[in-house]
Amino acid sequence: MSHAGELISAYLDGELARHEIDQLQAHLATCGKCAAEMQEMQSVRSAVRSLPLLELPPGLIPEADAEVVPLRRNKGFLVGAAAAAVALIIAIAAIVTPSTPSVTLEELNSRYGARASLDPAFGPAKVVVPDLGDILE
Amino acid sequence: MESVPLTWEEVARVYGRKIYNFAYRLTGNSDDAADLVQEVLLRVRKGLAAYQPGSFEGWLWRITRNAFLDEVRKRNRRPTAPLPDEVDRWDMASSPSADVEYSRISIGDDVQKALLELPYEFREAVVLCDIVGLSYEEIARAVAVPVGTVRSRIHRGRKLLRESLT
Repeated sequence: MSHAGELISAYLDGELARHEIDQLQAHLATCGKCAAEMQEMQSVRSAVRSLPLLELPPGLIPEADAEVVPLRRNKGFLVGAAAAAVALIIAIAAIVTPSTPSVTLEELNSRYGARASLDPAFGPAKVVVPDLGDILE
Repeated sequence: MESVPLTWEEVARVYGRKIYNFAYRLTGNSDDAADLVQEVLLRVRKGLAAYQPGSFEGWLWRITRNAFLDEVRKRNRRPTAPLPDEVDRWDMASSPSADVEYSRISIGDDVQKALLELPYEFREAVVLCDIVGLSYEEIARAVAVPVGTVRSRIHRGRKLLRESLT
């Protein structure tokens, strides 16, 4: 045996036959490199095996009759329901929200100019009030 | 003779958590793991009636593995590419989607991070051995490779893990 190689992991996993175990143990007694690798593999194996066994997310597996409780989330249904809900909200909003009156350029100029004249912080109307014709273009 | 769970509910109760942990350790993502559990149990429910007494573990983990790889294929949408590369593109740090998955790993979970860096075949073998607790023979049946290949993959996987963790 040159080096133990994968026999080391198989040994740690209890996957070697008796005669392979004997060969490996005889080799380890004379090969420091393989003895060190055995230690390292044992540490790695223990590290992976010490990862916590995670609990299933609540409700993932229904306890009730599988014929009654659907196993699989019906994504198509959820998407359809979400789309219907959005459509309903839009429809309600369209009903309860007053329609935006059409505003003429003259009315906008009138409102904008009026605010400018009432609010000192707004500044002089001649400076702040833009040419709405340019904005709306 | 091997004791075989007879109902879907028993399979879910006995193996659901193992399947979840298998998928979580392969992906590092709890949502993906939960989806896989549901997909596997659906396939078990469909296939249980036709199950022939034999290695139930091998049958179940073959279904689990196939469901996992099918999900990988769907995500990559590249069904003609070689499978191992597809898998690695999905969850290794080299792909954009992998970056998202990678970020979900809890900080400090070095072992989980190192697992995700393994090539898929090695990661799968190590997880089936050390997380699920299958024997080499059971892994060989589930993955459809010789026992010698399983032995090699587990050892090489552990050596790569050691390099990542040191």
